[in-house]
Amino acid sequence: MPDKQKNTKLFLLLLVPIITLLAGCEFKDIDKNVFVSIIGIDKSDDEDKPYKITLKLYVPTSSFKQSPEPEYAYLSQNGETLSEAIRMLESYSDKELEFGHSKLIVIGEELLKEQKVSEILDFLLRRPDIQMISWIAVGRPSAEEIVKMVSQGENAAYPALFNYFEDIGTESQYIVTTFLFDFRRRLTEDGIDPVLPIIEGKKKKKHFEINKAYVLVNKKEPYELSSLYTQTFNILSMNASVADLSTKREGQQFVARIDSINSKFKVIVKKNNKIELDMDTSLVGYISESKNQLKTEDLSYYSRLFEAEGEKFFTDFLTEMMNIGADPLGFGVDYNSRILHNKRMSAEEWNEAYKNAEIKLKVHADLKSTGIIQ
Amino acid sequence: MSSMETIKWINEQLKPTNEFIQKNLDYENKHILLFYLKSVVDSDMLQNLIITPFFDMKSEEQLRLYVQALPQFQEVQSKEQIRQELLNGNVLAFIQDELYLLDFRLSNNDKVNQTNVETTIHGSQLALSDNLMTNINLIRTNYHQSSLSIEYLDKGEVNQQKVAIIYDQEKVKSDVLDIIRTRLQKVDKQVITSTTQLNNYLNDKKFSLFPQMIMTERPDRIIYNLAGGKVVLLVDGNPQAVATPVVFFDFMTTMEDNYHTVLISFFLRILRYAGLILSLLLPSLYVGATSYTPEVFRTELALTVAGSRVGVPFSSFIEVLFMLFFMELLLEASIRLPKAVSATATTVGGLILGTAVTEASLASNIMVIIVSAVAISTFVIPVNEMAFSIRVLRLLLILVTSLFGLAGLVLGFFALIMYLVNLDSFGEPYLKLYTVSKNKKRSEGKA
Repeated sequence: MPDKQKNTKLFLLLLVPIITLLAGCEFKDIDKNVFVSIIGIDKSDDEDKPYKITLKLYVPTSSFKQSPEPEYAYLSQNGETLSEAIRMLESYSDKELEFGHSKLIVIGEELLKEQKVSEILDFLLRRPDIQMISWIAVGRPSAEEIVKMVSQGENAAYPALFNYFEDIGTESQYIVTTFLFDFRRRLTEDGIDPVLPIIEGKKKKKHFEINKAYVLVNKKEPYELSSLYTQTFNILSMNASVADLSTKREGQQFVARIDSINSKFKVIVKKNNKIELDMDTSLVGYISESKNQLKTEDLSYYSRLFEAEGEKFFTDFLTEMMNIGADPLGFGVDYNSRILHNKRMSAEEWNEAYKNAEIKLKVHADLKSTGIIQ
Repeated sequence: MSSMETIKWINEQLKPTNEFIQKNLDYENKHILLFYLKSVVDSDMLQNLIITPFFDMKSEEQLRLYVQALPQFQEVQSKEQIRQELLNGNVLAFIQDELYLLDFRLSNNDKVNQTNVETTIHGSQLALSDNLMTNINLIRTNYHQSSLSIEYLDKGEVNQQKVAIIYDQEKVKSDVLDIIRTRLQKVDKQVITSTTQLNNYLNDKKFSLFPQMIMTERPDRIIYNLAGGKVVLLVDGNPQAVATPVVFFDFMTTMEDNYHTVLISFFLRILRYAGLILSLLLPSLYVGATSYTPEVFRTELALTVAGSRVGVPFSSFIEVLFMLFFMELLLEASIRLPKAVSATATTVGGLILGTAVTEASLASNIMVIIVSAVAISTFVIPVNEMAFSIRVLRLLLILVTSLFGLAGLVLGFFALIMYLVNLDSFGEPYLKLYTVSKNKKRSEGKA
């Protein structure tokens, strides 16, 4: 027994110094960190240092009641690579830059057009403290402007921009929400193209406008979706949970508020590398505005009008996408998932087939009420 | 050995006690010798039951039969027994060359106390008394079962205190009972004054963090435990009983759980376990999250914490230990202080100190909130012994977390669970969830 005891003591004696040598995570008090809220990446004027990073930093306060005005600090630096720029930025700050709380990454419009997205993405993915669940968006005119703008009525400690993308804030049908992980998937995956929302900073009005989006098509200039197309994309991809759609047909003009959207699609392969895009959308809601007097008995008639209008909307959008060869909804992924790899068309064949695809669209509208109690 | 010799021996043995009284009554050819210790004998009883009848009796034979018929009558077995019983308050009577023991003990501690450790809103408000016999009487009057057995032992080499082992013969696990008996035999302490002492003496481990017996002052809890097949130990002069074997979850129940409706007691249980987890983990979570992984907070919270720590000179773990230290001091002080002063102590300590500490920025606001939350949630743990264990335990968790962050906390918690799983209470697994085994139809550990 004493031998065993001696061994235990020896073991502990050796273990304790070894443990102290172990470097675990680093102990750093929270007040020695500075939290980054938004990362902005731009193209700089400098040829040698093409990237310009702008960071929005939170200024910590002990009580938001005492200082309800939002306070931020900004850091900006050019660099040859993103890491280099951030390394320089760290020397500007007395505290450790902590990216764990940054929720939004804004890419400047110019930079986006230069086809450098995959380089940026590489940096964002490799850095461990940048969250994959951050949102990614395009800044117009530049990311720096968006990052440095504080909108009207913004609360302390919570940049207004976050509310646009988060589910708890506005639920606009025009806002596309793209997470970093999703963006990466869409960028690397064949058969689905990334969509990035465009944040426009209106300096004079002191507010942001987010109602357009970019579709990134492989090796091509990014295609800008208009507000209408952005909305259509949101509905078809079920990104939006509520939407207002107007109908103007057969002398009737009304707006329907859709609160339940369900959309399915399928690629049907036909002979000779022909495909058919089969879409099935169901919209349930009520009429929220009308020029004419509406009757409850005629609700099914209004629904049919609405269906026809919806079909036109959606077909327009799909045709446009097919013309430019963009596939934001992911028909290609659907095709790949259905067909065995040895029977698939080549990428060129697929692109060709997609461009000439037949659209078969079905909209089931169900308007439940005219919105008025009669 | 003849009776005369025994009396002589007793006389010698009890000579050092100057209260030893020898009374010789001799009247009309009746003769009786009485020996007793004045301070432990009820003199009224002695007067009414022995002395008055003595003068009324016709013959010595009648007197002898009368004494034998008294309910206080006890058979004499050995001279050592006589000595012990005399010290306990018996009267030794010598009639016709025979020795008789009569139990006339005087006890002033047989009043039943009010509950003050395990207070409840529903249920009985009365606790045990200081007197062993009264306590056993309480148990017997509430547990009408012929299988209820009580064994007596004298423990404590010097003070020879009476210890009672109480159990239901049909429900108790015999191996548990054997372990308790053998361990009780091995106890050789000079003085035994409390049942909770036995908790340490019957435990074969040198250092144990968790109690292996549950202390209670409520007769209803004792009854409940007896019915569940537990063994209850009582010590004379102590108003608390201990029951064993226990499982961890025994310490998280109150008797009131049975008195409430199902949903309410479910809610209260949830509340209690939340309190347990909170009081155990909150300080370490604070250290781990603020100093290693501020990402886990919501952004606003991270900023508030960071902002409130501005100007605090200490690292987060020093801050936590510092505030916990004062909280523990406060808790300890309010136990020792007389009731009238303890309210002032809590006000000064809790309110004034708390505000002053943040004003002087020795600790952050958030820290004060956390410490208060921890203090409150510690009180939610219904059995005091477990609350003490948790108080010690959370310091250990703070230590690992300060060294290794949240990963350390998880590991530390894991180690705690492993320790609990490894632990046993008198042969019964400590972290047993359901102690009701369907085939055996036992229900111990349900208290």
